[in-house]
Amino acid sequence: MHEYSLAQSLLLGLQEYLQKNSLPGRVVKVHVQKGELLTLSEWALKEAWRILTEETELSGSELVLESVPVRVRCPSCGYEGQARYLVEEGWHISIPVLSCPRCGSPVEIVSGKELAIVGLSIEETPTPA
Amino acid sequence: MHDITGSFGDVIQKQLELAAQNYELLKKRGIRAVNVMGAIGSGKTELIIRMAEKLRERGLKVGAIAGDVAGDDDYQRFRAAGLPALQINTGDQCHLDAHQVGHALEDFPLDQVNVLFIENVGNLVCPADFPLGTDLDLVVISVTEGDDMVRKHPKMFAQTDVVAINKVDLAAFVGVDPERIAADYKKVNPHGKVVFTSAKSGKGVEELLSALGF
Repeated sequence: MHEYSLAQSLLLGLQEYLQKNSLPGRVVKVHVQKGELLTLSEWALKEAWRILTEETELSGSELVLESVPVRVRCPSCGYEGQARYLVEEGWHISIPVLSCPRCGSPVEIVSGKELAIVGLSIEETPTPA
Repeated sequence: MHDITGSFGDVIQKQLELAAQNYELLKKRGIRAVNVMGAIGSGKTELIIRMAEKLRERGLKVGAIAGDVAGDDDYQRFRAAGLPALQINTGDQCHLDAHQVGHALEDFPLDQVNVLFIENVGNLVCPADFPLGTDLDLVVISVTEGDDMVRKHPKMFAQTDVVAINKVDLAAFVGVDPERIAADYKKVNPHGKVVFTSAKSGKGVEELLSALGF
């Protein structure tokens, strides 16, 4: 249940950007990349965004979440690419395993822990005739 | 419709940067730190006190930070065990974060310790997303929580360096097989270390310290 605090951080960062940059219209979609290693509920994150943006300039904007797969780098054999995912019957979720899919050594995380706004969709305000 | 792409700041990256600052400060002071996570009642506080006793016998100076939503019960237990300690009350936040720990490190008598245990809020979900800047992550599971704890919280265990399966002396009474917990953990984290402990009797405490690199 840390979706609200992280949604709040995303919102504050975006509001700071909006204060410094003028946009040609209203923000209707906020595109967010969310790493698969995070323990965040997409539903709760979207609901937090809806509530936190009420009565702000971002009210009514939709949080569009893109899931970022876990990529790893192996210091032993040099592998860099997608992590191996563990799929077990009855677990109902596939789990990224932080072990090299090629040589089985411990790996470093390259991506899969991000939570970042990467784009905005703007509905342009029609210019008065 | 008009699209703007770009970087508007990664909020997890911000956490990593704060954690890196804590890590650098601890390294500068020659302190090795462990983030101790686990459910409420898993035995985190008791296990820290047992580890501290052993480390002090070896001449190391040990301190603890207690993270709780409210109250100072764990802090009082650390103080009664003779450890320099500090309480963080998160004010209903379900996990510690690097920012809170950074402030705690400003107030903590760092010159009195070379090992610091940071006991996180009792929770097996949220702390996984908030690095604190410690050398290692330890999760304590008690057998009384059931043998399905790893399957219920796989992402936490996939990222944890060491797991202590605690209260093993009670396993037979609650019908739980500690080996099953260990096997699940090795599936999600082939490089993690598992130690069976009983904080009350002291069983496994030396092995746990060795798994943590002490």
